[in-house]
Amino acid sequence: MSAATTKEKPPEPALTERLRLEVERAVQRSLKGVELFGAPPPTVGKTAKTVLHRRGTLSLYHYHATADEIYRVPLLLVMAPTNKAYILDLAPGQSLIEFLLARGYDIYLMDWNAPGDDERDLKIENYVLDFIPDCLRRVQQDSGEDEVTLVGYCAGGMLSAIHVALIPDGPVKNLVCFTTPVDFSKMNLFRSMSDAKVFDVDKLVDSVGIIPADLVVAGFDALRPASRVAGQLRLWDNLWNDEFVKGFRMMERWGNETLPLPGAYFRQTVKELMRANALYEGTLRIGGRKVDLGKITVPFLHIIAQYDHIVPPACAQPLVQRVGSRDKEEVMLPGGHVSIAAGPNAVKRMWPKLDAWLQNRST
Amino acid sequence: MATSLIPDPFQLWREALTKLEGNANSLVTGSMDSQELVRSMHQLSTLSLNMQQAFEKAIGSYLARVNLPSRKDVSELAAALQRVEDKLDRLLPASAASAVPRPPRTRRPQPEELAPPTVEAATPAAAKPARRAKKPASRSRRRS
Repeated sequence: MSAATTKEKPPEPALTERLRLEVERAVQRSLKGVELFGAPPPTVGKTAKTVLHRRGTLSLYHYHATADEIYRVPLLLVMAPTNKAYILDLAPGQSLIEFLLARGYDIYLMDWNAPGDDERDLKIENYVLDFIPDCLRRVQQDSGEDEVTLVGYCAGGMLSAIHVALIPDGPVKNLVCFTTPVDFSKMNLFRSMSDAKVFDVDKLVDSVGIIPADLVVAGFDALRPASRVAGQLRLWDNLWNDEFVKGFRMMERWGNETLPLPGAYFRQTVKELMRANALYEGTLRIGGRKVDLGKITVPFLHIIAQYDHIVPPACAQPLVQRVGSRDKEEVMLPGGHVSIAAGPNAVKRMWPKLDAWLQNRST
Repeated sequence: MATSLIPDPFQLWREALTKLEGNANSLVTGSMDSQELVRSMHQLSTLSLNMQQAFEKAIGSYLARVNLPSRKDVSELAAALQRVEDKLDRLLPASAASAVPRPPRTRRPQPEELAPPTVEAATPAAAKPARRAKKPASRSRRRS
């Protein structure tokens, strides 16, 4: 909870004043509502970067340094395959990337594009034993450094953790995860929706090959089915507020650009992670090898969101207990699954914590 | 501090919206315990998906017959073009203007007095206090 700082509330205006304010806002809503219809998509993800590598669904970016000197150890951020990474670089002043660059970190990022039909058979194996090590090698080559800090967000964190567990003596010097699921038995709703008695995942995957983005969005929306409508009503209510509208549209754009998924990856996630809970149970086999989170011994930080409705704290907490690192820390901060990393309060909560942890481990 | 005795109807409306949203979410997600409901949902989404696929297939056939590209074809072409341009950018000599800045890797952590503001945590950190893990001395590769 935030430190209590008593602030005296401003006196509430009289009813007549409030009515006048609402009439003024109603006028603003009409004018700005019309503007909104014709407005282009909000600009996002504009921090300067170079495409280092692109291979089908994978894109590897290197962000341009903004500090006069940087830490020795570069960071490789791994985004969840369901979403675009620009959530970490929404706008000037609301960008984790911009913040870390200013603090002197050398940032590389694994982002995803919609997989093509030829990528329908991509599995977890491809992400943890091909994409991640390939990108690590390219980061080493480009930076001239042997050691890299791996930072994974949500499923990106899960993929990163599995990679380090399978290749514990690799170039990863530190591992950071944000809101990363481990115990899928605590994802009650997703488990209920993916139960074998009601959902034939093989039939779906065999018929579509690539899981459409609409289906992925529907899955997330099912966690809070009334929130989309409520969000539109709040948008209407706050149309007079340019800052609110700008923030809302950026988040809405990101949600609408949810990515399709390779069918094999989706099938594996449903059967092995969601139904069998294999990662938590210690029975998950990737590339023929058992994934033992205890094999992770590098310094480890896990940041969990207290009000995360997608990866509840109970689902994420076992990760710090399972890793074998001596230097490990779990921090639970107020916020939701997305707001913890990209919301307006992230700049005073998560980002400084990440910086404080990383700076002593990046020299 | 002056307060009005008449509640703000607009604030009441906003609070009601938040409460209604929460209740509606709880009601619907609570009902997901019913396998029948979830099965129906899946059947509905499968039906919608099949209809969408059938429609796209029909449109695709028509466009092929009249020798026109679909929106998907054009998007894929645009994406391929972008990849070619990105590749060219990497292959061609970098101009001074587009050169990636390469500052020295000599940064050290900020001194204590300049440390970032205290982070508000929901709960105290559960793990042991941080100890630096011992790692062998790293070797920076010489970049050619």
